[in-house]
Amino acid sequence: MSEVLEGEIVKIIELEPIREGVIIIEGFPDVGLVGTIAASFLIEKLQMSDIGYIESDALPPLISVKNGKILDIVRMYGRNNIVVFLSEIPIPLPIIRPLSQKIIEWAISRKAKMIVSLTGMPEPGRLNIDVPKVYVLGSNEKISKDALKINGVEAFTDGYITGVKGMILRESIKRDFNALLVLSQAHFNYPDPGSAAEILKYLSKLLSIEIDVKPLLESAEELKLRLRDLMRRTSQAMQDVQKSRELELPAVYL
Amino acid sequence: MLDEFKKIEQELRNIEEEFYMRIKGLEAMRGCITPLYNIYESGDELIITADMPGTNKEEIDLTVGEDYLKIEAPCRSPARRTREGKYMLHVRLPVEIEPESVKARYKDGVLEVIAKKKIRGVKIRVE
Repeated sequence: MSEVLEGEIVKIIELEPIREGVIIIEGFPDVGLVGTIAASFLIEKLQMSDIGYIESDALPPLISVKNGKILDIVRMYGRNNIVVFLSEIPIPLPIIRPLSQKIIEWAISRKAKMIVSLTGMPEPGRLNIDVPKVYVLGSNEKISKDALKINGVEAFTDGYITGVKGMILRESIKRDFNALLVLSQAHFNYPDPGSAAEILKYLSKLLSIEIDVKPLLESAEELKLRLRDLMRRTSQAMQDVQKSRELELPAVYL
Repeated sequence: MLDEFKKIEQELRNIEEEFYMRIKGLEAMRGCITPLYNIYESGDELIITADMPGTNKEEIDLTVGEDYLKIEAPCRSPARRTREGKYMLHVRLPVEIEPESVKARYKDGVLEVIAKKKIRGVKIRVE
């Protein structure tokens, strides 16, 4: 089955029917590639299959080939009640807003339960931190409250959220959809599997699924080398969305 | 006006792509990897970090001068398509440093170099 959700700039193409009540995980490239590493690990460990992709003229004309299989660069994976959005490139600035809007519109139309965005929180002193802290921010009070019931997490209270993660949250509030942003202290522009591992530990509690992060930490060096080029391109893209603002506090009196 | 913006945007994309092509070309030619790195100032210190997974601290060759930093180290990785190579980074520093003040450590694949900034001029006490 193939279904296209028409949009102006972005289309979500489903290769399989999506069941109602799914939880969507978004792991687009961002700070420390934390979301991307965590989402990829989840896809592998839960043996998820590709169930769709994003189509847009604003994406570079690029396909990915893995084990002889041709894949789109922004893809959806699914298994049971989880759908994961993953991208092999940083999301280009011109489609950040339309893509975020389209994902939420699509999630509502498919009666999804919630969307969970995974990302790193830039921490200049990351090298001195052995276990990165995890922070959460919900699109509404109930989501935040529920997310904070899990031990060891803190509420994200002040700061800026730029790029897709921020726009997804904003769009969710506008449309009264449940969204949760999960951040973990991370290197700003070095791939950070250690930070991703903390996010995954949190996700395993949130979603009640078993995730052993040991293999991720054991392959951290290899992963960092393999992700170097994506990190370099993501760093460039983060400049476009003023990502360095996430190191700043909002102006208090404005 | 919109066309002009699109033209500028395309030109910037071309410059960016040329930059990536050059980096990848150089890396392939020299058989070395340019680490991702950051330089920032913190008080009277200059901090340089470089992401260099797959090496060990004993084999990192670090040379510093008043206005430059040079790192060479072997890079071993079992990663697919990544051949055994070496890291090479030569950076011109934004401010002069005291080379004898430099301290370095290697943790979780990241090399951190901390140096005292060279102070020129005279400190004046404000009354």
